[in-house]
Amino acid sequence: MIKVENVKKAFGPVTVLDGVNLVVNPGEVVSILGSSGSGKSTLIRCINGLEKLNAGRITVDDFDVSKPKDLAEARKRSGTVFQLFNLYPHMTALQNITLAPVEVLKRPRAEAEAEGRALLASVGLGDRADAYSSQLSGGQRQRVGICRALAMKPRYLLLDEVTSALDPEMTAEVLDILAKLAAGGTTMVFVTHEIEFARQISSRIVFLEKGKLLVDLPTAEFFAETGGLAQPRVAQFLSKMRKD
Amino acid sequence: MRYAEFTPFDLVLLAQGLGVTVGLFLATTLIGLFLGALWGVIRFYRTPVLTQFITFVAEILKNSPVLVQLFLVFFGFPAFFKLNMTPVNAAVITLSLNTAAFVYVIAVSSIESIGRDQVEAARVFGLTRWQVLRHVIAPQALAFSIGPLTALLVNQLQVTSLISVIGVMDLAKIGANLNLRTLQPFIVWTVVGVLYYLAAKLVATLGARLEKRLRAHSAFRGL
Ligand SMILES: Nc1ncnc2c1ncn2[C@@H]1O[C@H](COP(=O)(O)OP(=O)(O)OP(=O)(O)O)[C@@H](O)[C@H]1O
Ligand SMILES: [Mg+2]
Repeated sequence: MIKVENVKKAFGPVTVLDGVNLVVNPGEVVSILGSSGSGKSTLIRCINGLEKLNAGRITVDDFDVSKPKDLAEARKRSGTVFQLFNLYPHMTALQNITLAPVEVLKRPRAEAEAEGRALLASVGLGDRADAYSSQLSGGQRQRVGICRALAMKPRYLLLDEVTSALDPEMTAEVLDILAKLAAGGTTMVFVTHEIEFARQISSRIVFLEKGKLLVDLPTAEFFAETGGLAQPRVAQFLSKMRKD
Repeated sequence: MRYAEFTPFDLVLLAQGLGVTVGLFLATTLIGLFLGALWGVIRFYRTPVLTQFITFVAEILKNSPVLVQLFLVFFGFPAFFKLNMTPVNAAVITLSLNTAAFVYVIAVSSIESIGRDQVEAARVFGLTRWQVLRHVIAPQALAFSIGPLTALLVNQLQVTSLISVIGVMDLAKIGANLNLRTLQPFIVWTVVGVLYYLAAKLVATLGARLEKRLRAHSAFRGL
């Protein structure tokens, strides 16, 4: 379980997260919606320990990300996929995937490589294991990014706008894979602007607005007139997103 | 010394001088690379006090003439601290520290040229700072820095000629001696110059080759 309790985060004078509470149970797909600057990325970065909290607590399976000695365990349980892929450019696709399993989990290299190849094959990149990031398309890079996170066998996948740097065709490639993962029971925290897709795969949808969690509802309720749509800000946001 | 013709033995002298120059260059390069990289790592770990101290020392070494540093190490410190200092030791100390200072600057700028996103991409998967440095930062920083490092070393090779003024029998000193003996400055300094050139060219070629290998993943193919 990922538990975000009353988290506050400010950059200098700017409060970005203002008392956020969120629980993600194993098996759930929770999508985070919200306009640009509402604090979605910051929330993800707090969960994986890239930002220090000003107040509140975040635990991943009871490991407190603010405690240095817990952070390593917390990080082993969550895998992050980045908006701009952040692949290591000096390593091949396969090396990108095996680095953390070998170094952090101390897996034997041959085993890690066999698993890495299987992961690449499962996302349709079986023949690109030895390609460098500069030799891959955006969609291919992001698929490698997803494999890199999955190779750590995380219990939770954190995804921050993983398709927003991709064109529609490449977006579809990546979303396909995420849909399969969701169907397979992978727990995900999914920041996105792909409303329709979020609607298809999410068990719950939360809406962030100016650092506050305005709405946290099961998907069907979120899109119901009496549920999420009853919130003017949500209705406004959704109608704007659909127009774009 | 009376003036005399060239003898075949002069070739041996030149070879010896070249050997001393190359030897000192290699020794001070190894020490300088090691020290400069170590200082860079200390900075990467944001070690307080030590980092500021290193930056300060590097600043002084970069911004004062090597010749003055050499005189300070050879004449100044021994006189002040009552030490013994041989010319070779003074040369090794001065040139190593000088190389280290510039290696440090190159290391820092190439580490900093690697985006924060690379560090984060590795840290979120639980790699320790050392593992991030070893597997993600250092290989990329090295690929970035080979160009400037090669330029630095080519320059440091020429700078070794300064040590002839404190009496080290390097290529420049042998040249000076031959010149005094034969009174043939054109021939002597041309030969010495060509030898320096060939040594420098070798360094540059090796550097370019290494760079090509290390940057294979991001071969720059022009605009
Ligand atoms: N390192 C930082 N320093 C200062 N301000 C920051 C920093 N990171 C984020 N912010 C600010 O925090 C606010 C929230 O940023 P965040 O990236 O979390 O928004 P977001 O919801 O992910 O937006 P988007 O949809 O555009 O990705 C923004 O106003 C941003 O300018
Ligand atoms: Mg964002």
